[in-house]
Amino acid sequence: MIELDLTLPLPRFHLRVAASLTANTVAVLGPSGSGKTSLLETIAGLRPRATGRIALDGEVVMDTAAGVFLPPEKRRVGYVPQDSCLFPHLDVAGNVRFGMRASNGEAALFEEVVGILEIAPLLARFPSAISGGERQRVALARAIATAPRLLLLDEPLAGVDPALKGRILPYLLRVRDRLQIPFLYVTHNAGEARAVAHEAIVLREGALTFAGAPDEALRSTSLVDPEARFDNILSGTFGAARGVREPASLQVGQALFAVPADESARPGATAVFSVAPDDVLVSTQPLEGISARNVHPGRILSCDVSGATAWPRIAAAGIEWTARLTRASAEELGLKPGLDVWIAVKSHAFRRLR
Amino acid sequence: MSADDFSILLLTLRVAAIATLVILPFGIYAAWHLARRGGAARTLFETLLSLPLVLPPTAVGLLLLEVLRTRGPLGRLLDRAGIEILFTWKAVVLATAVMSFPLLVRPVRTAFEEIDPRLLAMGRSLGSGPAAVFRRVALPLAWRGILAGILLAFSRALGEFGATIMIAGSIPGRTQTMALAIFQRTHIGQDDAAMRLVGVTVVLAFAAVWTTEILTRRHTKRTGT
Repeated sequence: MIELDLTLPLPRFHLRVAASLTANTVAVLGPSGSGKTSLLETIAGLRPRATGRIALDGEVVMDTAAGVFLPPEKRRVGYVPQDSCLFPHLDVAGNVRFGMRASNGEAALFEEVVGILEIAPLLARFPSAISGGERQRVALARAIATAPRLLLLDEPLAGVDPALKGRILPYLLRVRDRLQIPFLYVTHNAGEARAVAHEAIVLREGALTFAGAPDEALRSTSLVDPEARFDNILSGTFGAARGVREPASLQVGQALFAVPADESARPGATAVFSVAPDDVLVSTQPLEGISARNVHPGRILSCDVSGATAWPRIAAAGIEWTARLTRASAEELGLKPGLDVWIAVKSHAFRRLR
Repeated sequence: MSADDFSILLLTLRVAAIATLVILPFGIYAAWHLARRGGAARTLFETLLSLPLVLPPTAVGLLLLEVLRTRGPLGRLLDRAGIEILFTWKAVVLATAVMSFPLLVRPVRTAFEEIDPRLLAMGRSLGSGPAAVFRRVALPLAWRGILAGILLAFSRALGEFGATIMIAGSIPGRTQTMALAIFQRTHIGQDDAAMRLVGVTVVLAFAAVWTTEILTRRHTKRTGT
């Protein structure tokens, strides 16, 4: 439970957020410069000019009217900044141990964190000698090792290439599910938000413009964040195995999808895949004789246009899809709500997230 | 080198080392606050700190003499406590400490300023108080600058002349450091003996400045992550 009622003066506007967040994982969405990072820093206690009230699980960490302003070291909040901010003079092990308190559970927690984030091979190396994705994992481990009651993650996957993203996202989900640490997750990527969070808030120019289910935020986000990416996230179970050289089949609701097979694709195993909006083809004619394995009829729900890009949302195979087209081709096809269309997705456009 | 030369060298090294050690904590403290603060107070403080660099050393010496003489404000206190400073080796330490202080502070301040403030914020967020963050993050990240400052201050201390002669005199075996001995020997026509000491000082100064150069160059080349 995160109770926020805060104000922070920023150069262009005031950040004003009043919200009561009950979900374990909350996505913070909004365009660049809308105050998302400032919000995290305020909760972490790193913005001394903030006023108002913040309570975490009922404990007040800030209440300026009552003269309460816990310093950052007393808030027990794990902050993972966007650029990881590792200590360059310490090796990975030193970084992870930095915030650990001397207690009985220390060794066990260290082992667990190192295990979950798979950083054991990096422990003796210095931050300058590891990759960006590895640094993000170490920063995450360092924050978790302090046994925080809340994690603040600032675009942990921004600037990380899609393949690597697919490797880090599962770690985040592990942290969420196994360690049960609630988190606030800043992201540009609405698809990521939907995969990770149970609740979402949207900021614009420092003001809270939305609070609710991530799926709903997705619909409104296209209006507030033209830069946002809307990866389509599919969560399902593998169907009966076919031949070794064949793609695996993934059952999502009533629909079956052909997805790339790997050794863990045992029948009945659950999996989460993402499909980039660029990989969703839209046709107004029935598709036949096409190499793509996944072809489904559907209907246009909405078609937002920002700049030269169109973002049609399509209901097909029991899922809401986001596709990305040029504005010109969307106009040529005459995409508008209610229109019957077909979507096609190559099996290799499905990227395994977990 | 004669036995005399050797004892002069030892006295000089000892005095310079003690002076550097004495100002080290104050210098680091001052540098830390200068690096973290802005505004008019900082400029004023910085100007005051730099005065010994630009004032004639003899002027600084005379000011110190005024403060410390038996009828002076501080001198009376010290006299009552039975502490004798003027014209003892302690006066040499005091003079060199005052003159070296700005040279210690500058590189240390620069090193602190180069630290990404977000690293300090991270340290706080990870549970360390301000003092612990200073010890665990700021000091280790600034060590090159601190070492450079120590070497610079030490080198300056080795050669201090003007302020020293004002408050410590040039008493052989007690307060006569190399800089003072070179002057005195030349004065009484022992040019060869003076030149031997000059040779020693050149070697010392060369080694100190060389090391400082290497340290500071590596420091500026180092890029953050």
